[in-house]
Amino acid sequence: METHFYLSLLPEALIVSMLNPEEFGSYYAVGSSKKSRGQAMFFEVDPNYQNSYFHLDEALKRCVPHEDGRPKSSIYVSVYRVLEHIDPSALLDLYLTTQDGRTLALKSSEIIPDGDEGLHLYQEIAPVTPLVVSRLDPLSFYDLIVNNPTSLISVPAITFAELQLGELASDPEMGLLNNLPYSNPDHLRQCLSDVKTKFVSTKMVDRTHSPVIPYRTIKNGFFVGNQEKLRYYPMPSAETLRAENYRWFRSASM
Amino acid sequence: MDYQTWLYVGIAGGIISIAVAVYLYFWVMRQDPGSERTQQVGSWIRSGANTYLKRLYTSLATLALILGIIIALIFSFNFETIGTTGVTIEPGSGVIMAACFIIGALCSAVAGYMGMRVAVEANVRTATAAQKSLQQAFRLSFYAGAVLGLAMVGLAVLGMSIIFILTGEAHAVLGFSFGASTLALLAKAGGGIYTKTADIAADLVGKVEIGIPEDDPRNPAVVADNVGDNVGDVAGMGADIFDSYVASAVAVMLLGASFSTGMQYKYTVIPLILCTLGTFASLLGIQFVKVKESGKPGPALNRGTIITCIIFVGALLVLSLLKVIEPGIFWSAAVGIVTGVIIGFTSDYFTNDQYKPVKETARVSTSGSAVTIITGFSYGLISIVPSIIGVVVATLISYSVALGDGLPGIYGIGVAAVGMLSISGMIVSADAYGPIVDNARGIAEMAGMGQEVIERSDVLDSAGNTAKAITKGFSISAAALTVLALFAAYAEVVKANGIDLNISLREPIVIAGVLLGAMTPPLFSALLMLSVTHNAFDMIEEIRRQFHEKPGILAGTEDPDYDRCVGLAARGALSSLLLPAFLAVGLPLVIGFVLGPDALGGFLGGAIFTGVIFALLMANAGGLWDNAKKYIETGKFGGPGSDAHKAAVVGDTVGDPFKDTAGPSLNTLITVMSLVSSLFAPIIAVFHLF
Repeated sequence: METHFYLSLLPEALIVSMLNPEEFGSYYAVGSSKKSRGQAMFFEVDPNYQNSYFHLDEALKRCVPHEDGRPKSSIYVSVYRVLEHIDPSALLDLYLTTQDGRTLALKSSEIIPDGDEGLHLYQEIAPVTPLVVSRLDPLSFYDLIVNNPTSLISVPAITFAELQLGELASDPEMGLLNNLPYSNPDHLRQCLSDVKTKFVSTKMVDRTHSPVIPYRTIKNGFFVGNQEKLRYYPMPSAETLRAENYRWFRSASM
Repeated sequence: MDYQTWLYVGIAGGIISIAVAVYLYFWVMRQDPGSERTQQVGSWIRSGANTYLKRLYTSLATLALILGIIIALIFSFNFETIGTTGVTIEPGSGVIMAACFIIGALCSAVAGYMGMRVAVEANVRTATAAQKSLQQAFRLSFYAGAVLGLAMVGLAVLGMSIIFILTGEAHAVLGFSFGASTLALLAKAGGGIYTKTADIAADLVGKVEIGIPEDDPRNPAVVADNVGDNVGDVAGMGADIFDSYVASAVAVMLLGASFSTGMQYKYTVIPLILCTLGTFASLLGIQFVKVKESGKPGPALNRGTIITCIIFVGALLVLSLLKVIEPGIFWSAAVGIVTGVIIGFTSDYFTNDQYKPVKETARVSTSGSAVTIITGFSYGLISIVPSIIGVVVATLISYSVALGDGLPGIYGIGVAAVGMLSISGMIVSADAYGPIVDNARGIAEMAGMGQEVIERSDVLDSAGNTAKAITKGFSISAAALTVLALFAAYAEVVKANGIDLNISLREPIVIAGVLLGAMTPPLFSALLMLSVTHNAFDMIEEIRRQFHEKPGILAGTEDPDYDRCVGLAARGALSSLLLPAFLAVGLPLVIGFVLGPDALGGFLGGAIFTGVIFALLMANAGGLWDNAKKYIETGKFGGPGSDAHKAAVVGDTVGDPFKDTAGPSLNTLITVMSLVSSLFAPIIAVFHLF
C-alpha cells in the first residue's frame, strides 16, 4: 500500500497514512472517535521530502497495515512547530474537508492575486489562529508577519486565508454586512474603522478565533509561506464548485 | 332531470373519477423507474412505507371492527320509543349503521393507501424523469398526486351516493362519514407523529450534531424521514380531506333531512350534486396543469386550481339558471369556493419567503432563537385573522343569501363548506404533488444524481411547499365551516328527539361544556407533540448508537440500519394514539351522557373555536419558521452555519410538530367530535345524567 505524508493544519501536525487524500479527509473528519466531526485542512507533502527535525523513518516503519489487512490510517510524526519545518516547495495539493467528511483538492497557482483596494480580513490558520483586519493586501500581510514585522510578533511560517468583507471593505461604518456570518459585527466594524482611520496597518479582531470557517466566506484562496517562499492555493468560485463539485459544495454550504 | 337521477350521475362521476385515477396509476407505473441505485433507494422507502402501512391498517382494522360491533349493538336498540312502547330492538338498523361505518373507514383507508402506493412508486420515477426534463418530472409527479385526489373524491361521491340510494337516510351517510373521519384522524395523527419523529431525529443528529446534509444516505433515519413524508403528507392528508369532504356533505344532508316532508329529498341530495359537479370540474381542471421546460410549476398548479373553480362556478350557474338549485344555493357555494381559495392564498402570504413575515423572522434570527420563536409565533397568531375573517364573511353571506331564498340560513353555511371542498379533487392532487417531489429530491440526493437533477427537483419542491401551505389554509377553513354545519345538524338531530337545545352562556352546565370543549384541542395538540418528542428522543439515541458503534457509516464504508429507525417510528406513532383517540371519540360521549345535550352543544362550540384558532396558528407558524430557515440557507443573514441559521433551526424544529403533527390533526379532531355527537345524539337525548 502506498504511504502518504500529510501536513494537517487543524490541528497542526505531520501525519503518515496509508489512506489516499479523500479517504484520509473522511477519516480525519468523521472516521475516528478521537475527532468524530469537524473540518479538516491538510496538505499532501512530497513523499521524498526529508527534514532531520522529523523522525520520518521511524514513522514509516510503524505505518504498516492492521492485522486484518486494513490500511493504517494515521501515524503522528509531530504535533509541534511542524509548519515551520516544512519547505513550502514540498507541499503538493491542499485538501479541504467538510465537517461531514467530503474532501476537495486545491492546486497551487503561480499567480498570486494583486491586492484589491479596500480593507482585508485574514483568518490565520497555522501556527496561530487570530482573526485580523488589515489595510495590507495578502502579499504585504504575509511579508509583515513573516519577514518584516513592525511589532515584536512574528512567526517563521504561516498559513492564512483572506475572508470576504463585502461592503465593509470600503465602508466599515455604514456598509451593509450583507449576509456575512461573522459574530460580533459591531466589533468587526470598529476594528476596520480603526485600521482605516488610525496609523495602524493591522488590528486583531479575535485573538483565539476558531480556524473552523465557512468555506464559502473565503475571498480568494489560501496562502502558505515561510521566509523563503510563499505559495498560493486559489479557491474556485461558488459557481464552479456547484457545477463541478456539487457534493462538496452542498456539504460545505451547511 | 329529477333529483334521484342526480344520484346516478353522482355514481357515474365517482366511477369516472376512480377510473381516471386507476388509469393514471398505471401510467405512472409504466414510466422509467431509473437506475439500479435509484431503484434500490426507492425500494428502501417502499419497504419502510409498507412496514408502517401494514401496522397502521392492522391496528385500524381492529379498531374499526370493534367500533363497528359497538355501533351495531347500540343502534340495534330504538330508544325513540322508550316513552311509549319501551326500547325496541331493530337489529337491521344496527347492522346498516355498522356497515356504513366500516365502508366509510374502508374508503378512507383505500384512498390513503392508493395515494401512498402511487407516491412511493412515483418519487423514484420523478427523480429519474428529472434527469431528462423538468416538464416530464412535473407531469409525472402531478399525475401521481392526481391519483390520490381523484380516487379520494371518486370513492367519497360513490360511497355517499350508493348509501343514500340504498338506505334513503342521511343518518346512514353520517355513519359512513364517522367511519371515514375516525380512520382519518388516526391516520393523520399517527402519520404526523411518525413523520416528525423521523424528521426531527434525522435533523438533530444528522444536521446539527454531525453536520451531514439533508437526505444524506449516511443518516440512519433518512429512509424513515422519507417514508414519513409519504405517511404524513400523502396518506394522512388524503384521509384528512376525504373526511372533511364527506363530513361537509353529510352535515348539509342532515340539515336537508330536517326540512319539511316535501322538501327533504331535494335538499338532502343537493350537497351530492355539488360534490358531483366538483368532481367533474376537477377532472377537467387537471388537464390545464401543464408546465413548459422553462416554466414555473407553482403558477401551473395555481392555474389548475383557479380554472377548476371557474368551471365549478360556471356549472353551478347553469344549474341555477335551469332552476335545479336556488340562486341562494348558487351564491352560498360560490362564496364558499371563492373564500376557500382566498384563504388558501393568504396562508401563503404568511409562509412564503417573498413576503414580510418570513423575511422578518429570518432577520430577527440574528438575535437568537428566543426572538425567532416570539416573532414566528406572533405572525402565526396574526395569520389567524384573514382566515377567520374569511370564514366570518363566508358564514354571514351564505347565511343571508340562503335566508333570502327562504332556506334556513345554516343550510347556506353548510353549502358554503361543500362549495369550498367540492374541488378537493384538484386541491388534493396539487397537495400530494408536494411530498412526491420532496421525496424525489431526497432520492436524487441519495442515489447520487447530478446537480442538474437536484436543481430541477428544488424547483419542483418549492412549488410543492406553496401548494401545501395553500391546502392547509383551505382545509382548516373548510373544516371550520363544516363543523358549524355539523353543529347545526347536531342541534337538529337532538331536536328531532324532542329536546330543544338551550346553549346559553348563562347556564353553568353549558359554560362547563364550553370550557371542557375549549380545553380539548390544546390538550390533544400537547399529547401529539409530546409523543413526537418522546419518540424522537428514542430515535435520536438509536441514531447516535449507530454512529458510535459503526464509525464506518460516516466514512461511507458501512451501511446504516435503516429498518431499525423505520420500525421505531412506526411503533412509537401507533402506540401514542390511544389517548388522543379517546379524546376525539370518547370525551364527547362522556360529556353528552354525563352533562347532557346542552353541555355537549357548548362542548362542541368551545372545541370548534379553539380548534380552528390552534389549527391555523400551528399550521402557519410552523410553515413560517420552516421557510425562514430555508431563506437563511439561501445565504441571507449569514447563511448556513451562522448564528442566525442556528436560531432558525431551533424555530423550525419547534414548528415541525406544529405544522405537520398537531395543526393538521385538529380539523379532523373537531370534525370527529361533531360527527360522533350527531351520530349518538338520539341516544344522548334519551340517556343523560344532568
